[in-house]
Amino acid sequence: MTVNRIEARMNELKAAGQKAFITYITAGLPDMKTTKEIIKAQEGITDVIELGIPFSDPTADGPVIQQASFEAIQAGASLNKTFDLMKELRDEGCEQPIIFMMYYNTILNYGLGAFADRCAGLGVDGLIVPDLPYEEQDDLKAALSGRDGATILIQLVSPVSADRIEKILTDAKGFVYCVSAMGVTGQGGTYHKDVVEYLKSVKSISGIPVMMGFGIRTAEDVKPMKEYIDGAIVGTHFINLMREAKFMPEAARDYAASFKAELNI
Amino acid sequence: MNKKAYYGEYGGQFVSESLMNVLDEIDRAFEEAIHDPQFIAKYNYYLKQYVGRETPLYFAERLSEKYGTKIYLKREDLNHTGAHKINNVIGQILLAKRMGKTKVIAETGAGQHGVATATGAALFDMECTVYMGEEDVKRQALNVMRMEMLGAKVVSVRSGSNTLKDATNEAIRTWARTAEDTFYIIGSAIGPYPYPKMVKEFQSVISREAKVQHMEAEGRLPDVVMACVGGGSNSIGMFADFIDEPGVELIGVEAAGKGIDTEEHAASMAKGRPGVLHGTRSYLLQDDDGNIKLAHSISAGLDYPGVGPEHAYLHDTGRAKYVPITDTEAMDALMELTQTEGIIPAIESAHAVAYAFKKAKEMTPEQSMIICLSGRGDKDVNTISDYLAGKGYLN
Repeated sequence: MTVNRIEARMNELKAAGQKAFITYITAGLPDMKTTKEIIKAQEGITDVIELGIPFSDPTADGPVIQQASFEAIQAGASLNKTFDLMKELRDEGCEQPIIFMMYYNTILNYGLGAFADRCAGLGVDGLIVPDLPYEEQDDLKAALSGRDGATILIQLVSPVSADRIEKILTDAKGFVYCVSAMGVTGQGGTYHKDVVEYLKSVKSISGIPVMMGFGIRTAEDVKPMKEYIDGAIVGTHFINLMREAKFMPEAARDYAASFKAELNI
Repeated sequence: MNKKAYYGEYGGQFVSESLMNVLDEIDRAFEEAIHDPQFIAKYNYYLKQYVGRETPLYFAERLSEKYGTKIYLKREDLNHTGAHKINNVIGQILLAKRMGKTKVIAETGAGQHGVATATGAALFDMECTVYMGEEDVKRQALNVMRMEMLGAKVVSVRSGSNTLKDATNEAIRTWARTAEDTFYIIGSAIGPYPYPKMVKEFQSVISREAKVQHMEAEGRLPDVVMACVGGGSNSIGMFADFIDEPGVELIGVEAAGKGIDTEEHAASMAKGRPGVLHGTRSYLLQDDDGNIKLAHSISAGLDYPGVGPEHAYLHDTGRAKYVPITDTEAMDALMELTQTEGIIPAIESAHAVAYAFKKAKEMTPEQSMIICLSGRGDKDVNTISDYLAGKGYLN
């Protein structure tokens, strides 16, 4: 039986008493070859790679990821090309857990069934679809189900989810993505005012690891809530960093290594 | 799946988790409000005393004579602020106040919804920010100035096509961040449920009045009712009370820009496929990768790559018919209406007028049609003058 790479990694981390570190990069920024190198450079350090599929209207993203998405599309990136990238990665023996972060229209356009088949075939371990709330997930879940090591639809919760959290977590798998702030990605360290209470409440009812994302730059940023989370996700800051470093894969590795070390002190 | 959020397979609530409880809160407040006689009385009071309703159903004598059928114009252009947009703004802003919100935001294309929202915000003492694509800011400078005079902050949005689609993206982002004290007043019949329902509810006054007025004038229902369709707010309002009257033909007129066989149009029904944008599932102009294509229309208000979900449903079920009209056809109709009846329509509304002239040819002198004249053309004078200069119109 095939095991989902995210679940396998989460189990290993739990056994080792470690917290997870996840980075987000837009697929095809600045090109697919560089994206592949950035992913491979993080092998053995970053626990899960979130790969953003560029979309023309990324309403859940702030200016940095919007711009990244725009540039990637201009450079020819698409879902199909990201699937090609996945194939190369898996063919070359890369066993990193990989999640596609994408908007629902990209999936609908591809066709739910075809999309689910392709993800399963290429070892896409998870999906994050920010404009597909719990109530709208039935069709996609049905398409993804019924396979060994099936692609997991990662659930998101927000500081104002309140009484929705329990429902959302009922059949959640892999980990739960706790959005630290209202709104869009990349608000640099400004969390929702009740963030600690909220994370505490998610942690208390979640049977799966709790990851925090949105606005995180350094391990220091998550120190106040470290007790209540099982890991951190860095997107916008990671893209800024990669830009500054002219997309040198070593820069990705160094940043990930130091963040992860500090997170697990 | 939340079934009531759907019109057939269209609609839904495709928003971030942060907004789901917000939508639920709005839905409950909205349903309570429209069943509260006091709220409705207040809404009707402002429509009458402030907006200037009811608007006339004007029998266009000269056009009727020329085209050999009875042509009635529902004069939404005579509303305060110059278009139908204010009907919905009054409703939503009263709801926002009832919910205890202190700030409102809005997206705008032609600027009519932005002006209407800024107007409502001034009237009800709310802080107002309007998101407008950079391209539209240029095309509609007069409306930008009106909004600023009314005390609104106009944010020029520079991303994608720099038009309504991108302004809506930015408004959604801001809303997701600030929904705790901010109400998003959507002006088109788009967005996540309950927005399409709210916009229809608050625009349906158009058809409620028109039905009675036509009955008084002709003693029967009209044969044809038509309106232009961008996102679809004036058209859904114009259709609303006629949807259950099978004898009344409903026609929505889309912007065909430079032609539906070119790449420059906004005809999402004629050339689009179902997809998800701005919180709702409906017909969308999209490329092979599922990215949303840029729309094109000479009228900023129709320059949108999607359409409201109920229109998609009316299209699929065949209850309404959707037809394309090009920039040129719309501008010709605009000039004709101006010179025949002394009414300068908005370029948006001129699309409906243009199709009415075509439709009239298959109608008899005893039959009648209502065209929703959704707005007036004052805001378009610059565009019209550039167009005429380019086309070398003599008069």
